[in-house]
Amino acid sequence: MDPAIRQPKRFHRLAILPTPRSTVIGGAFILFIGLCVVPVIYMFIVSLITADSTLTFDNYRRLLVESRQRDLLLNSTLLGACSALLATLLGSPLGLLLARARLPAKQVLRIALIIPLIIPPYVLALAWILFTSSTGLLARIIGRDLFSGWTYSFAGAVVVLSLAYYPLSMLATEAASRRVDGHLEEGALLVTNTRRVLWRITVPLITPIVAAAALTTFVLGLSEFGVPSLMRVRVYTTEVFTAFAALYDFGTATALAVPLLAVTFIVAVTIKLIIGERFISDRRSVYPALPVTLDRYRIFVFAGTILVLTASVVLPLMTLAYEAGNFQRFTSTLEGSGAAIINSLSLAAIAATLIIVLATFLGYWRGRTKRRWRGLFDLVLLVIFAVPSTVLGVGLIGLWNRPGLFGKIYTSQVIIIIAYIARFVTVAALILAASVRQIPESLEEAAEVAGGSWPRTFAQIVIPNIVPGVAAAWLVSFILAVGELGTTILVAPAGESTLPVRIYTLIANTPSSEVAALALMEVGIVLIPLAMLAILTRSGLERRGERGG
Amino acid sequence: MGDSFIRLVEVTKGFGNGPVVDRVSLDVTEGEVVALLGPSGCGKTTTLRLIAGLETPDEGEIWIAGERVATIGNNLLPPRARGIGFVFQDLALWPHMTVEGNLNFVLASARMKRPERQVRIDEVLRLVHALSFAKRYPAQLSGGEQQRAAIARAIVGRPQLLLLDEPMSSLDSDLKASLLHELATLQKRLQLTTVYVTHNRQEAEALAHRVVSMNGGRIERDVKAEFSSEQ
Repeated sequence: MDPAIRQPKRFHRLAILPTPRSTVIGGAFILFIGLCVVPVIYMFIVSLITADSTLTFDNYRRLLVESRQRDLLLNSTLLGACSALLATLLGSPLGLLLARARLPAKQVLRIALIIPLIIPPYVLALAWILFTSSTGLLARIIGRDLFSGWTYSFAGAVVVLSLAYYPLSMLATEAASRRVDGHLEEGALLVTNTRRVLWRITVPLITPIVAAAALTTFVLGLSEFGVPSLMRVRVYTTEVFTAFAALYDFGTATALAVPLLAVTFIVAVTIKLIIGERFISDRRSVYPALPVTLDRYRIFVFAGTILVLTASVVLPLMTLAYEAGNFQRFTSTLEGSGAAIINSLSLAAIAATLIIVLATFLGYWRGRTKRRWRGLFDLVLLVIFAVPSTVLGVGLIGLWNRPGLFGKIYTSQVIIIIAYIARFVTVAALILAASVRQIPESLEEAAEVAGGSWPRTFAQIVIPNIVPGVAAAWLVSFILAVGELGTTILVAPAGESTLPVRIYTLIANTPSSEVAALALMEVGIVLIPLAMLAILTRSGLERRGERGG
Repeated sequence: MGDSFIRLVEVTKGFGNGPVVDRVSLDVTEGEVVALLGPSGCGKTTTLRLIAGLETPDEGEIWIAGERVATIGNNLLPPRARGIGFVFQDLALWPHMTVEGNLNFVLASARMKRPERQVRIDEVLRLVHALSFAKRYPAQLSGGEQQRAAIARAIVGRPQLLLLDEPMSSLDSDLKASLLHELATLQKRLQLTTVYVTHNRQEAEALAHRVVSMNGGRIERDVKAEFSSEQ
């Protein structure tokens, strides 16, 4: 044999020693369980134990017997359900149009319609309050108070939450519509007309994804703290906050959290059952699907789209800009809230980076594993994602507020970073799992056969191919962290504040102009990195010749 | 062991619904080109992946170059240590690296020094007529160019064994014929022990010294090719 030919290497590893892959992924799982799962389990345990460490069901007995609890459960569930329904009615048709119809400036329209998703919902609520309240912009313009009754109401909260979350339904519908194999529709077109094909073939095929998006919106509505709190709607999340922050009643706060956790768990299981493995898969159909023609409905579609865009983006931002007044208002606001803005930016950036490190390994495992309990992992991710912010806040306080090292962490800004990780690592893990699934396994196998070790393959093959996913996950984590209110307001150490907490605490006793200026700055903070990501992704794909015309 | 370079002894592999490869025994001598021929789902790709170490046998043993590399439920030698060049069905060119970068990864993994790497990369790219598109990314290549790049990557590490998993299934017949001819010439020159998986009998007979037909996870026929490239 030619001596230059590569011979099999002597390769000895004790079977009991963990591989680099299992060591790294195992470490990521330990961190995930410690930071994200334990606080939720802790809540359950604490709600069952009295101050003198005996088992009690008192907290739960009160939930069953008190009519106040039943009203809260009804309010919370209705808020989630109505928001989900309205968001789906707004978002789904838009998603179908973006996927299938010929629209002018479609890319610009898509970006504009996604904007509400990056504006924290309580900023939208604030804008609507500033617009419709008795002293609001509308009343000042027309000289009459028409909508103040609506401003602080259940219906108002439903509308604001729907405007905040319809892009979720829109994006899910668009993705699902693009994935429908065009051959399925063409087969039906041989025997019936386009409208019937749309209703009998296309809609049933995309329904599971649309339903899953609706359920996700339901969970978000159920878990939302800022909007019902600002619009004075009493739901579980606001009561948990009151029980803990105002009354410092830890037992009641944890017990109030339990029905919410139970409902979110049921919804999470339902979502998982509906979408199964599509949970993290996003492969497009190989054959283009049937286009939708608008014909005489064009004018109605155009008017509807403009209406949604006006209500969700244009009007809120214009109201905030009008209320903020001139440029000097921004500079004076910066003087008073500079520290909160810097805190928000730096803590969100650090947390987003740490989230990516952790989520990359979790997402990689989820994207690649063939083990049966990957379904259980999906469920855990969904439940953790669905845990309401104030509930998680109480859990983190109970877990970290103790003497020693834990106490030092609890009284520093690190607890805010931990809160961000606990809240949003699941979202990043799902984005990255989907990214990993997009890479053919053969790329890694080719590297393995070619002699690459796992760390080398991971660093040089996997990571470069999920860069867009990593960037998107970082940005999503950053946006969510910058806008986080419910958990931060509970865990933030004395004297430390973030921009959302500052806005929330200023609303009651500060001129609306300053609050509006701060809210606009918050929107600006998330828009800048979004634009940067769009530019970077575009140039990266162009370099590799992967962009279509 | 005799003079077998690859030996599969009663190898079985399943994925939950019965065996995909069922008690397969196969011997390949050094320098021999064997084609595994059969319809989709007959177990030929799984057999190839078992040889590469990308799957672990449920039963049986696999030997390469006189060394036992896999036994029941256990890969004794991982894929990266088996001295294999593999051309995947989808080619699996790393899309974020240029053609040159793809080859460089293989040599860097073997800890070859940088100046030596460049010499070896140029040598192999010249051999497969791929020098002109060395700096291009996979997405910028035609089907035939991608094929050459994948073959270059498979042989750049001087493997002792070349495994090809239906690498020409997506090419048109003219390009396929031309590349098959080049591959046969290359094999003759390098004298690499080769296992070639295909469902196309003409392709198998054009390249292989021996054609092993598989069906239902088992070997049905094992015959010397009638029109092999050597004849």
